[in-house]
Amino acid sequence: MPAVAFDHVTVAVETDHSPGSKVLLSDVSLRLEEPRVGVIGANGSGKSTLLRLVNGLVQPSTGSVTVDGDHTVRAVRKVRRNVGFVFTDPLSQLVMPTGREDVELSLRRSVKNSAERRKAAEAALDRLGLLHLADQSIYELSGGERQLMALAAVLAVNPTVLVLDEPSTLLDLRNRELLRRTLAGLEQQIIMSTHDLELALEMDRVLVIDQGQVVFDGGPAAAVAAYRALCMDGLHARERR
Amino acid sequence: MRGHGFLLANYVPGNSLIHRTPLALKFLLVFGCGLASFIIVDWRISLGMLGLLSGFFLLTGAGLKKLWGAIRPLTAVLLVIGLFQWWQLGAPTAARIVLNILVCVVAASLLTATTPVQKLLDGVVKAATPFRRLGADPERFALTIGIMLRSIPYIAGTFADVRDSARARGLERNPRALILPVFITSVAFARQTGEALAARGLGEPED
Repeated sequence: MPAVAFDHVTVAVETDHSPGSKVLLSDVSLRLEEPRVGVIGANGSGKSTLLRLVNGLVQPSTGSVTVDGDHTVRAVRKVRRNVGFVFTDPLSQLVMPTGREDVELSLRRSVKNSAERRKAAEAALDRLGLLHLADQSIYELSGGERQLMALAAVLAVNPTVLVLDEPSTLLDLRNRELLRRTLAGLEQQIIMSTHDLELALEMDRVLVIDQGQVVFDGGPAAAVAAYRALCMDGLHARERR
Repeated sequence: MRGHGFLLANYVPGNSLIHRTPLALKFLLVFGCGLASFIIVDWRISLGMLGLLSGFFLLTGAGLKKLWGAIRPLTAVLLVIGLFQWWQLGAPTAARIVLNILVCVVAASLLTATTPVQKLLDGVVKAATPFRRLGADPERFALTIGIMLRSIPYIAGTFADVRDSARARGLERNPRALILPVFITSVAFARQTGEALAARGLGEPED
């Protein structure tokens, strides 16, 4: 498995409405080598920022992130070739009118011949059982089918690491199950944030993020318990106010 | 998000004469129709051209429903333009302007309905290759066209959603309640699309 390493990473952004900068992630040091890594935490806790660092979409204010030794700022193009990123809303990720066209778009750089590209796109869609939906407008697909289509477009270029930012948040139970089974069959290293605690329990390692800090790092059952306790503490504190 | 208000027709697989026509010729047809809209001064010629192009469209096997689907989202705008021009410049000029816009839309739909997007993008890359010497990246040209095709239905769908929301709140007559949310959503969409492209390494210069 490739290793994703965070070395004393802090991310801070300037805000218009408050003096100084807002810290989104504070002094995170991690080495992620497990096949399945989950990230859980409340909305706005810093999960997405942590994931975006892996693909170079967010750059650290201090510290560094490397994927298999490649620096996510200095070697960002190489990192993006190796790290696939799936967003929460597939409609903001799929940039072509149909799934086939979107997968072919992913392959334009690597496969120059259009007939070969078409074949490669069909193979990528077939792997996820989506070939029969290849020419349907992305607007006509269900949420789960769209999410799988976005996944197919990312997997078409064979990344070694797959980062998913709350991929099941917009899905119903059936589609969530479909996505879960698909992810279980992938050989890539997966780093995924989620609010679905059942899904988190299937990971090899789970990080709990709170207010920009990793407050728990360990096995899934203990991590979910720690997260539940954290949420209850927050609720009690709110009630006392 | 509805996103079904597609302004140009999606590709319809087929083997008609128009499907088999070389891409360059179809490009020329669209370009020629655009140019003609500035030159033609008689509404009857515009009507004839619209009839001819609609006939070509139906010959492709894409069907009347698809043709209407390409024109329908424009009807309200064309009505406003037509009425305004009638008031300002008279009926013949109003008819010519409206018909010329329809000619352009049908010509563009003829191209998109008979050409797979990837073939269209390959054509754009080929046409833009000479600009490589000036430092341009032909793949970026193609990507821009692809994103444009994808963004039109998104923004049309956003407009439909916003109109429904405004109607639900009794604000359908308030232009601010319609225009501002569409504008904000479109900017957010552009940002998300940019981020998605960056994440996939698309639009970056080749090694």
